[in-house]
Amino acid sequence: MTKKTEDVYGDHISHQFNDDLADLKANFLEMGGMVEQQLNSAIIALMENDGELADEVRAKDKEVDRMEVEIDEEATRIIAKRQPAARDLRLVISVIKMVADLERVGDEAKKIAKFAIGLVEEGQAPRGYIEVRHIGQHVGSMLRDALDAFARLDSEQALRIMKEDKRVDEEYQAATRSLITFMMEDTRNISRCMAVMWVLRALERVGDHACNLAENVIFMVKGEDVRHTPVEEAERIVGR
Amino acid sequence: MTDQTSPAELVRRSLKRRYRKERRFRAYGILAIVIALSALLVLFADIISKGYTGFIKTTITLDVTLDPEVMYLEDPTDPDELSMADFTAPIVRALQEELPDAQDKTAERELARMVGTYAPNRIRDLLKDSPELLGTTQTMTFLAHDRVSVYVKHADNDMYSIRLSEQQIEWVDQLREQGIIDTAFNDVLFSTGDSREPTNAGILGAIVGSLLTLVVTLVIAFPVGVAAAVYLEEFAPRNRLTDFIEVNINNLAAVPSIIFGLLGLAVFIGLFGMPRSVPLVGGLVLALMTLPTIIISSRAAIKSVPPSIREAAEGIGASKMQVVLHHVVPLAMPGMMTGSIIGMAQALGETAPLLLIGMVAFIVDVPEGFLDSATALPVQIYLWASSAEQGFIELASAGIMVLLTFLFTMNALAIWLRKRLERRW
Amino acid sequence: MTNLKHPITASAEVKSESKPTVDQEVRTEEGIAYGKTVGKPYSDNAKFTLRDVNVFYSDVQAIKNISLDIAKNEVISFIGPSGCGKSTFLRCLNRMNDSIDICSVQGRLELDGVDIYQSKRDVVELRARVGMVFQKPNPFPKSIYDNVAYGPRIHGLANRKSELDDIVESSLKKAGLWKEVKDRLATPGTGLSGGQQQRLCIARAIAVSPEVVLMDEPCSALDPIATARIEELISELSQSYTIVIVTHSMQQAARVSHRTAYFHLGHLVEVNDTDKVFTTPEHELTESYITGRFG
Repeated sequence: MTKKTEDVYGDHISHQFNDDLADLKANFLEMGGMVEQQLNSAIIALMENDGELADEVRAKDKEVDRMEVEIDEEATRIIAKRQPAARDLRLVISVIKMVADLERVGDEAKKIAKFAIGLVEEGQAPRGYIEVRHIGQHVGSMLRDALDAFARLDSEQALRIMKEDKRVDEEYQAATRSLITFMMEDTRNISRCMAVMWVLRALERVGDHACNLAENVIFMVKGEDVRHTPVEEAERIVGR
Repeated sequence: MTDQTSPAELVRRSLKRRYRKERRFRAYGILAIVIALSALLVLFADIISKGYTGFIKTTITLDVTLDPEVMYLEDPTDPDELSMADFTAPIVRALQEELPDAQDKTAERELARMVGTYAPNRIRDLLKDSPELLGTTQTMTFLAHDRVSVYVKHADNDMYSIRLSEQQIEWVDQLREQGIIDTAFNDVLFSTGDSREPTNAGILGAIVGSLLTLVVTLVIAFPVGVAAAVYLEEFAPRNRLTDFIEVNINNLAAVPSIIFGLLGLAVFIGLFGMPRSVPLVGGLVLALMTLPTIIISSRAAIKSVPPSIREAAEGIGASKMQVVLHHVVPLAMPGMMTGSIIGMAQALGETAPLLLIGMVAFIVDVPEGFLDSATALPVQIYLWASSAEQGFIELASAGIMVLLTFLFTMNALAIWLRKRLERRW
Repeated sequence: MTNLKHPITASAEVKSESKPTVDQEVRTEEGIAYGKTVGKPYSDNAKFTLRDVNVFYSDVQAIKNISLDIAKNEVISFIGPSGCGKSTFLRCLNRMNDSIDICSVQGRLELDGVDIYQSKRDVVELRARVGMVFQKPNPFPKSIYDNVAYGPRIHGLANRKSELDDIVESSLKKAGLWKEVKDRLATPGTGLSGGQQQRLCIARAIAVSPEVVLMDEPCSALDPIATARIEELISELSQSYTIVIVTHSMQQAARVSHRTAYFHLGHLVEVNDTDKVFTTPEHELTESYITGRFG
């Protein structure tokens, strides 16, 4: 599979250009891996009441920010030096946009870690952890799949991720509803339940970002912008 | 340093050898040029050393008393009397004035042979024009006799044999001391035509003949040559016929010029009945000979016009004709003119074809038109070079110098034109 | 969009039957399949209508069955690797190939619906309507004024000196050269800088008021600043002229043209809106070429 993508971006007359694009992709995937791990750690820290791990997650955000800047610079350099066109241009533009999404995912993970630290101090919330784990796993796999789709230029997988986002939204709504019911039952838990609500909200945002990544992958591969288009249209484009 | 010698070291080692080779090569080139130049120098030195005396004339200046009794001439207005009179006698008398010891008959005969053959005629012409001078004493400058001239100019040159008697040599020496025999710039050379007498022979007739011939050549060969070149290069279709024509034009350029002379003799004189020895026929023959040169050089000039100019004109919508007349021909003109001038120079130096059409005749008068009998410079040189009299040797060399001057001028003109006109693009 | 009606399909097929040298099937060369031209080669507002054009140099086929419309007032650029036939095709449009004996052009080439290769059609008139600017600036070795005035003079566009002056002035103004040369119109055009010379050539071309201006790599001999000037000029001229430009610089094609046509080994592979060609080309070959993957 990697061989195939290598071919798609790797057979320029200029070897330097090949290397530049390969570096850009590698750095992006490395940043993606970092963010993915950051998200997982944040969820584990919350689940297991692990304040240290949560601190680690917050510290790692600096690293992610640094990578975002680095990848942006790299992309700018490629545009300035190589004037990429068509597929190459779409790769560079998509990476610039997706890097922003990844950075936001990192921010959301940091936010979750912050709430985890709060909950370590306040004591665990009585409810909502099952939903957090469930949605957390869901968006985590979406994120992983999106990065995978990017690595393999798999627009069909990207399309699946777009569809998946709807499910995450539904799960999020169900979870908030149940938490609201619980808060109405026992008003002493409101502040801690609110923290869990924010965590759920953050996870839902991560799902949105994963969806954005998927849309960008489709743009990269198919050359059509599927943002703000109905799923059927996206399906038609991917199916072409 | 092991066996691993660095490339820089290898380069350094080979450098010496390379430079040596280069120096040797340059030396060969310089040698070749030196050989060519020295050959040229020897040629020039020889011609100039032999020929410069051709530009010098020997004169005898005498106070001539135009005594009617001595000349047996009473009335200079009477043609009969004028033709019977003895005009040598006053010159001999004038010489005897200067050389008191030469009084006997033999001496008189020898004295008479010291002035040029045409010296008496000058006195006759003077009296014919101004009869009132009869009886007066005039200071007149005569050309010395060829033999005197040879002695004066070449006394110490082994190539010339002195054909004066001991007595005459003595007199000449004496007269030279007195300043009566003197040398001056030979204006005769440039003011008259040919003559049997070396001292009286001039090259003007040949120069004018050559010029008239060249005018005919230019007027015919240039327009025809350029038109042919333009047609062949721009309009003619590429087929067997044009290929055939092209090959034959190139062949014509290599045909020996004497063949053109034969052609001229057969066609212009034999078939069309044109007169012999005239510049018109000479020009026609030389035009035929020059045509291939002009056509070939004009085609080369047309070919060298950048195609971008042609495209530019075509791209605006100029017709074929307009492209050629407005752009190609003006841009090719310097090249065409250079080629033509070089062709003309070739024609100027051509002898063989002119010999065949009779331009080799002995012609005294300077031609005044295209149908006057004439000769040309190279033919004149040929004539002089093959003449018996010693005085003609130096004249031939002088003629060569005049011819070379013309050739150099024409070539310089060609170079100047090219430099001047080509700078435009 | 991509499947505009082919207005003369029937006649084109009839024509092609009489030309056995051209295979109509999908061709394969170097393992690459050429099908029909992809994208949108046809237009409702055609200035040039070109159908099944084939060009041969002796036995070698330089242009293989190309059909294309060039719309009024559009800037269309022809791109492709060297020897792909783009210049040859451009030169068919004002019959500059006529002067090459071994070159023969087949197919229908119509300007405003009239066949330009009809024997009756005068090539001089065609070239007055379809001007050309060449790769190397090629001003005549005459004064700037005479360079511009040459076309109007030979076509008799001006009756009086003042009219000619006006044409020269307006042409030079349109070519953006007036300010630089107005005080030295009598000096030779060859004394200008390369970029100025090329603008002079453009002025010379538009002085005869053509409808179409063909440009054959007009900036390949110029520095970037002069190139930018010419490109600016092209977009200004596109208001009043149809412009066909052959270029080796893909960025230039991307900058100046409305549509871009990609040629490959004599085939017209793809014609599309320039924006589309440079972001999402439809054909594999186009993509490879514009992303620098040929080799």
